[in-house]
Amino acid sequence: MRDTQWPRYEVFKQDRPDKPHEAIGTVHAPDPEVALLNARDVFVRRPECYNMWVAPESAVFKMTAYELETIPNWWEEDLPEDAAEQTYYIFNKQTQRRSMVAVTHVGEIKARSEREALRKAIESGQFVRKQAYMWWVVPESAITSSDEEDVLSMFEPAKDKTYRDQSYYTGRVFARRSQRRPEDIPLS
Amino acid sequence: MSEEKSYEEKLAEFEARIERGEKIEPGDWMPDEYRRQLIRMISQHAHSEVVGMLPEGAWIPHAPTLRRKMILIAKVQDEGGHGQYLYHAAESLGVDREELIEALLEGRAKYSNVFNYPTLTWADIGMIGWLVDGAAIKNQTMLAHSSYGPYSRAMVRICAEETFHYKQGKEMITIYAKGTPEQRQMAQDALNRWWWPALMMFGPHDSDSPNTPVLMRWKVKTKSNDTLRQEFVNEIVPEFLALGLEIPDPDLHYDEESGNWIIGEIDWDEFWRVIRGNGPMNRDRLAARREAHEQGAWVREALEAYAQRQAQAEKN
Ligand SMILES: [Fe+2]
Ligand SMILES: [Fe+2]
Repeated sequence: MRDTQWPRYEVFKQDRPDKPHEAIGTVHAPDPEVALLNARDVFVRRPECYNMWVAPESAVFKMTAYELETIPNWWEEDLPEDAAEQTYYIFNKQTQRRSMVAVTHVGEIKARSEREALRKAIESGQFVRKQAYMWWVVPESAITSSDEEDVLSMFEPAKDKTYRDQSYYTGRVFARRSQRRPEDIPLS
Repeated sequence: MSEEKSYEEKLAEFEARIERGEKIEPGDWMPDEYRRQLIRMISQHAHSEVVGMLPEGAWIPHAPTLRRKMILIAKVQDEGGHGQYLYHAAESLGVDREELIEALLEGRAKYSNVFNYPTLTWADIGMIGWLVDGAAIKNQTMLAHSSYGPYSRAMVRICAEETFHYKQGKEMITIYAKGTPEQRQMAQDALNRWWWPALMMFGPHDSDSPNTPVLMRWKVKTKSNDTLRQEFVNEIVPEFLALGLEIPDPDLHYDEESGNWIIGEIDWDEFWRVIRGNGPMNRDRLAARREAHEQGAWVREALEAYAQRQAQAEKN
């Protein structure tokens, strides 16, 4: 029966071209292509999606503020001599308010490792306004993106399904919420 | 290098963080009991969403209009998605979705009792949306404040979608209650059968809920079973009565002093009987789940084979 435990992919959804990608959860899939399809089914049953990234969960380096504080010298590692620089995508979470999003894409950094990328990102000071509660670092090479031409087939159809939205129902049948006091209501 | 902190120090720090309203995230230190309770709760919750697809899914082929069919399909799809959000939250605690699904299919896992009752008429679909999803929303709105980050985020997303489930059900029952005598009778009959199972969804009395104190202390839950149940009753009773529907509880009365609608005693024998697997539909639900899992096997095999071939082609 153990036939569904495929690798997990983190899913990053971009609502509109002018908005950053946001981490919204994971899906299981045998490959990135299917991960994107599953992500669409699981996370985009409603409007507001322009683009999606998936990355194998195992390729995502995650550190919480608590870990950064409590793990001494967390940045230490044995980098091979010839470690080459590559691009890392940086994500973080800067609010403790109620949210459906884990971390938000804030930029890119070139580094020789994920730890180095995170250290550079923190030291640069350019990715945090006040405080970051969580950081994720993903190598660009681990990310698979949906295509712009996918928008029409993958994301647009949700827009016609207005009945998925609660506002579709208000005012159709309901009178205003009953203002009557309980004692006025017949207990038939 | 700082000294390794003692368990008591870590626990005090953990509790102080929760007290300050901080979210606990995967990777943060947490007591084993916190992790254990969360895995228990979240996995039960995930299973409930998935099994919850069955009683309503059974009516998709029989929906009376295309509009109602599309609405019902959309709702059932949502519940499938909710299950996935929640398995994801559980996995962030170090369990595999596969383990959890296996426990469900083998009948070792719990899920909400309410889905072990049959959907006998089309009006049940409306009543489930209004009453059962309504009760679920009550619980989920509370859990959206949970101290565990991934659980709370899953709940915020779920709540945003659930409101539609509730509204479409309320719309349908409102139409039926104002409709022909036969429609009215269908709505009343559905209420008669779903009222008590829906109230049982909030779980046993606080006095019989051994997990509640620790869950509230660590703000996994922020309200107790009885508190939530009372809030729900206070909201929904006037709405049913306003439609001229009767609540199937001869002891129900309004208490001036507390402003509460007081319900009669819940049949806890029935509650425990159903939890232990002897409800009207327990066996059918699991059999349907297993069948669906087995029937999907060829799709999983095909995807797996394709992925392997692609990977092989890339290597060559
Ligand atoms: Fe749900
Ligand atoms: Fe629902």
